[in-house]
Amino acid sequence: MSVRHIHTFLVHPGKGSATPASIVGTQVPLTGGMFNLLDGIYAKSDTECDVDIAFVPTADGKQTNACRDLILAYLAKPDLVKAQAIASRLAGHTDGRSGLGLLFLIVGKEGREHKIVLSRFPTDSAIYVDENPKALTVEFLERVFMKNKTSYKAVVYQHASLKAGFCAGRAVDKQLNSLLGEPSNYWISDFLLSDFRTTPAMGTRRLAVAIRDAVKKSALPIKQELTAAGTLAGGLAGQHLSIADFAMRMGLSKEARDAIIGELNSPALAQEIFRFDAGTFRSLVAYKAVELNNGAMLMADSERFDDVFQKEAVEGVRDQVKFTTEGVIVDEKLRTAR
Amino acid sequence: MSEPRVDRITARAKGIASFIRKAGTLVQPKNRAKYSEPLAQIQDQIGARIITFYKSDVQRLDEIVTKYFTPIEFRDRVPDSEWEFGYFGRHYVLLLPTDVIDETMDRAKIPDFFELQVKTLFQHAWSEADHDLGYKPDSDSKPLSKDEKRKLAYTSAQAWGADEMFDELFRSKMFAVGSSQE
Repeated sequence: MSVRHIHTFLVHPGKGSATPASIVGTQVPLTGGMFNLLDGIYAKSDTECDVDIAFVPTADGKQTNACRDLILAYLAKPDLVKAQAIASRLAGHTDGRSGLGLLFLIVGKEGREHKIVLSRFPTDSAIYVDENPKALTVEFLERVFMKNKTSYKAVVYQHASLKAGFCAGRAVDKQLNSLLGEPSNYWISDFLLSDFRTTPAMGTRRLAVAIRDAVKKSALPIKQELTAAGTLAGGLAGQHLSIADFAMRMGLSKEARDAIIGELNSPALAQEIFRFDAGTFRSLVAYKAVELNNGAMLMADSERFDDVFQKEAVEGVRDQVKFTTEGVIVDEKLRTAR
Repeated sequence: MSEPRVDRITARAKGIASFIRKAGTLVQPKNRAKYSEPLAQIQDQIGARIITFYKSDVQRLDEIVTKYFTPIEFRDRVPDSEWEFGYFGRHYVLLLPTDVIDETMDRAKIPDFFELQVKTLFQHAWSEADHDLGYKPDSDSKPLSKDEKRKLAYTSAQAWGADEMFDELFRSKMFAVGSSQE
């Protein structure tokens, strides 16, 4: 059995409160239905937690992080006191918008490596129904904690070294792109004192270069899919997504998606989540160019190409198109051969 | 390398002998081992260095480094006192980007971090010569005398002064170019 210790706490929001509610917790036995549920969460955390994060250094660059220190202290000696320190930290970074939460700390060992999963269930209300042939009983339940809610949070860390490891982990936060309610990043940036492992510039650059290189090597139909996706990418500014998500959101065909992923150093990079940075993308995919069989080369800003050039099919001639544009000439150039 | 005024970018894996030497470092009191888990604790097993022309460029490159990489530590390494001269350089410990990890590699054997140093030409020249003269691990070489240490400090001060002058000239030229374009 991998799981060695489980502690749980009812965490009231306490951010900014002068008199935060006391935090009550207990150790969870390693048998029974509750254990089976949590053991499942522990086992699935490697796939469920899909956002790579890393603890941030102090403002002056020191390799010190308050949340990491608490987690390492708990891993070194998993007792209620050390677990409660983590729960207290969560309370101090949770405000009323997040509401009451049930926090589980699940510690285990995977070979030589220590593993810890922090799992926060948000509170909800529910209706309990008891039915028999003669009667129906309904009961309103408060303080029901459900994992499948959008506001469920979790994080997993795994490393062999309690001295130098545990600088990075993986989180699940379904509210990353939420426009409503609590600031979704309280879990990652405030409580965990972390940031995305892949910076916006790095992730966006990886995507832009992969698209650009895939366009060079692909057949014309795929090129057209990819350039169309490139022109629409500006609408993703600020969104958290992976390269695989990008392909799905753009409705790319399997061939187009595979063309992009084929340009990455490894397919795993397609799953890394980052915040899309429109500025970085534009700098790398600045212009869209279309070449016609009559020798014409049309080029314009990739986001405005379809506004600058009007395209229409030529009647009666298969695959023939006509582009139209108008404006004042501001520059002319002679270019080197391709 | 497309950035202006970058003289060179180099990278290296730490040599085995160098790693063993570092792993065996003892600290006072009681001559105890500095590293109980050297494979995890020694964070410069992979090192990279960017050499640039002027001090102003170090700040410019810092913005690029922190834009694309994830630091767990960063600092300006400078002598402890403003009356001293010695090693100068900007150091980072950065998470190793997954782009450089081939999927056929055993992840457990790959370091989590790499160290990046950003230095000017003069800082780099001084540190290379100082490293060769001052820290030779060869058991035959004797420790530096006080005068030899002062000579090293003197050369560091000269390098520091050259950096200051070149940076001042560079900035005044850039300001002049900027003014003429307005």
